[in-house]
Amino acid sequence: MDRAFQRTQILTNHLLQSSPSSPAQIPSLSSNACLNYSPPELSEGYAFDIKEMRQLLDGHHVADRDWLFGVMVQSKLFNPRVRGGKVFVSPDYNQSMEQQREMTWKRIVYLLERGVFKGWLTEKGEEAEMRRFAYFEVLGLFDHSIAIKLGVHYFLWGGAIQFFGTKHHHDKWLRDTENYLIKGCFAMTELGHGSNVRGIETVTTYDSNTGEFVINTSCESAQKYWIGGAANHATHTIVFSQLNINGTNQGVHAFIAQIRDAVGNVCPNIRIADCGHKIGLNGVDNGRIWFDNVRVPRENLLNSVADVSADGKYLSSIKDPDQRFAAFLAPLTAGRVNIAVSAVYQSKVGLAIAIRYALTRRAFSVKPNEPEVLLLDYPSHQRRLVPLLAKTYAMSFAANYLKMLYVKRTPQSNKTIHVFSSSFKAIFTWNNMQILQECREACGGQGLKTENRVGHLKGEHDVQSTFEGDNNILMQQVSKALFAEYVAAQKKNRAFQGLGLEHMNKPCPVIPSQLTSATLRCSQFQMDALCLRERDLLKRFVVDVSQHQAKGESKEHAFIMSYQLAEDLSRAFSDRAIFQKFVEAEATLAAGPLKDVLGMLRSLYALIYIEDVAFFRYGYLSVDNAAAVRREITKVCSELRPHALALVSSFGIPDAFLSPIAFNWIDANSWSSVQH
Amino acid sequence: MASSVSSQQDQVLVEANSFARILSLNRPKQLNALSFQMISCLLELFLAYEEDPNVKLVILKGKGRAFCAGGDVAAVVRDIRGDDWRAGANFFLKEFTLNYLMATYSKPQVSILNGIVMGGGAGASVHGRFRVATENSVFAMPETALGLFPDVGASYFLSRLPGFFGEYVGLTGSRLDGAEMLACGLATHFVPSTKLAMLEAALCIVDSSDPVIISSIIDQYCEQPSLKEQSVYNRLDVIDRSFSQKTVEEIISALEREVVHKMDVWISTTIQTLKKASPTSLKISLRSIREGRLQGVGQCLVREYRMVCHVMRGEVSKDFLEGCRAILLDKDKNPKWEPSKLEIVTDSRVDRYFSKMNTEEWEDLKLPTRSKHNLPVYAIAKL
Repeated sequence: MDRAFQRTQILTNHLLQSSPSSPAQIPSLSSNACLNYSPPELSEGYAFDIKEMRQLLDGHHVADRDWLFGVMVQSKLFNPRVRGGKVFVSPDYNQSMEQQREMTWKRIVYLLERGVFKGWLTEKGEEAEMRRFAYFEVLGLFDHSIAIKLGVHYFLWGGAIQFFGTKHHHDKWLRDTENYLIKGCFAMTELGHGSNVRGIETVTTYDSNTGEFVINTSCESAQKYWIGGAANHATHTIVFSQLNINGTNQGVHAFIAQIRDAVGNVCPNIRIADCGHKIGLNGVDNGRIWFDNVRVPRENLLNSVADVSADGKYLSSIKDPDQRFAAFLAPLTAGRVNIAVSAVYQSKVGLAIAIRYALTRRAFSVKPNEPEVLLLDYPSHQRRLVPLLAKTYAMSFAANYLKMLYVKRTPQSNKTIHVFSSSFKAIFTWNNMQILQECREACGGQGLKTENRVGHLKGEHDVQSTFEGDNNILMQQVSKALFAEYVAAQKKNRAFQGLGLEHMNKPCPVIPSQLTSATLRCSQFQMDALCLRERDLLKRFVVDVSQHQAKGESKEHAFIMSYQLAEDLSRAFSDRAIFQKFVEAEATLAAGPLKDVLGMLRSLYALIYIEDVAFFRYGYLSVDNAAAVRREITKVCSELRPHALALVSSFGIPDAFLSPIAFNWIDANSWSSVQH
Repeated sequence: MASSVSSQQDQVLVEANSFARILSLNRPKQLNALSFQMISCLLELFLAYEEDPNVKLVILKGKGRAFCAGGDVAAVVRDIRGDDWRAGANFFLKEFTLNYLMATYSKPQVSILNGIVMGGGAGASVHGRFRVATENSVFAMPETALGLFPDVGASYFLSRLPGFFGEYVGLTGSRLDGAEMLACGLATHFVPSTKLAMLEAALCIVDSSDPVIISSIIDQYCEQPSLKEQSVYNRLDVIDRSFSQKTVEEIISALEREVVHKMDVWISTTIQTLKKASPTSLKISLRSIREGRLQGVGQCLVREYRMVCHVMRGEVSKDFLEGCRAILLDKDKNPKWEPSKLEIVTDSRVDRYFSKMNTEEWEDLKLPTRSKHNLPVYAIAKL
């Protein structure tokens, strides 16, 4: 009652400012009459060196990244706009689809002239590959379309030639591709087949009279779909197709076909249509392609694993078509690594914006006439955003591991790369969508404005959860791989090795019956808890699948029926694997404020997963312990609150790549800004 | 004591005119090079004026033909030679603090740049809200020729010039005239020197700190100067192509590529200038500008302070002493840089300039707190 009265009083005062009911309220009301933007830099301190933290998060090529950020900020092509006295760069998403595509292309030409893509296909080695990752991450921070457009040309088209092709393909195409003398695309997906690549319906035959392959779109569901670059720009494509030799289907193979001439006219026997407007990525010209018995020379078969002789004989060093297919697709993991990593950077953008806003935006007073409370000072707001910071830090360390795993790849590490890239791609992109949604809501209505980025990024990055491997299918692959590891270890009676499963060789960890704060903050306990869950779920999954098999069902069918355990298991594996990378990153540091704050984040990361329903579902945690975990989470969140600005500043994203609400949002929305 | 106080007062003349304060740098023989005393004096005055409700506007100008030719490097070199690099560092500590105060000042500063504006002189003016150039203005950041790097927050303001003009100005030390300063944004206004007295009089009757009002007053005396045909500002295409390159070596080869097919005196001169400058200076300057582009003015000054302390201490390179010897003392204009070639200045060598000083009792630059002041929008945007 009292409170209702006070609110009415305040409202009345607002409405009738000339006749306040109590003179004592005059000064506070007038001083509250207009909010001032108070920059968080002036009120929040840095307890650790944010440059050092950024080095740890970015991991590599920090100066190169900054150079590329600068190359974009300094060019009018990147659409710089001044808001609240600061420059922001971001594509004009209010342009038509056609205009956005043209701008994406112009930006690529500019970056090409600046030498950004130098060595992307012609330079080999870890250093070159890591630099390419760094640049790709930076470009993705500007715009998803430019990243995807480049990704298709360099990593899919270029990568296919590198990995599926042999020397004469490399000599003929790589340099020209690097310099954009030709524009490549990658036609794998069809209307009727996406994840199930082996089921595609495009058919290629060989004509030994002319020494040509004949590529044909056999039916409407065989039309190539979502082909980035196909609708407007691409001159060449990789075509995935069944190869039919003398009536025998040899499975999926990749061919090079020209689809446009040098001036952009579509080639004979090729039909191309646009995929149309999308919920994001409108700067990418996704198209559909039909091949009407298109003839390409024999050497256009990318023949790293299989070839066809001039007289039409099929030759392959790998006899088993399953293995052949696996060997064939293995190099495509590069795309998944890129997607996983770039998802983390989008989360960084979202969090930097939402947290900076929460440090400057106030809402509601606790007592009448007191200043309103800063959003991030509400424990509930901390609980929404700070755990997402912990997740993003954890993902950064895991992403750095994944990149290193990829650039140091050997034929033996293919399986490990496949499992980690599948797991991290799925988890990071899902997390990213969740993080962006929370950040968008945390910015209230401001999150809806495209110029504020955080909401718009959801549409732009939604596709990440289904392209280059549907997340759900990737996660199934993870559980299947773990299943295989388990069965192999049992059969051969050998210890687990690799994928971080070594903990399975040790006795099962025990969770103390009463969890104290000290235990909950202990990384050994955290690791034990996550391992316990993974270990138990793996056993349950194996048991479940064998029970189905015992009933006479096939293994494939058993996997399908055990999908719930499979899902929980793949999550448990991912959470544990990511956590492990966090612990490893933390271990590289000397004692000090940086390590302290990372310790808190690491605890928070573990605790939010231990609090998760998956721990409860299988009874790993008692009700009392679950309550203790929940209490500890709010405590860690409040302890991290003073570091919030430093933690997002350490992301190293230049101000220009954030958005107006992350800075002086009052001036950015002032009347004078409307008039300019 | 008394005499030092009076000489300090002499070095900065103060005129109070209703709500305006006119500060004149007064060491005309030294082209108003900023001494430690001058910097201390300016810092005190600026701090006091911010608190003083009777001050709405600060005008800064120079006596004689210079606005300010830079910091008093000769004094700093004396300190270093006397084995007291910390005294030199202390000079920069004070100077950078002043730069930060000016950059985030809550009241408009109008600098009248009627003459030479170099190095520290740029630092004392460009950070302020209004910079009035004239037909006598000569701007330059000549530090790379001295074995130093563009400091005084130049990594903030140079990096924000259009395209890659900032890299060009910072690495080559190229001189700009008033029209060029206006075109690139180093100056906010251009007023012919004959109208300066009237401008000053008009500013002295202002009773507001509102930048819109101040700007409209200056506008009344403005002229639109035209760029000389030979102006470097007409060469922005070449500058963008070459000075956007990632490394100093690549910048030079990009310039050399430009002249492969046709002779161009300006490009050849630019290449020569770069080749004469200290290789270490070029590399740390480029890195500094690149980092500065993405940082707030405070971060820029903290970084530059680290850098300048490394330069003063000379544990990575002694080019600063050598540059001062060759240009300012012996005047043989033939410095012997060490390392002498760009390729010997490795990334790890460059990195050291950006690291904390590994020495006792050294601290990063502590910027004055600005939270209690109601900062204007343009100051907030620089944080």
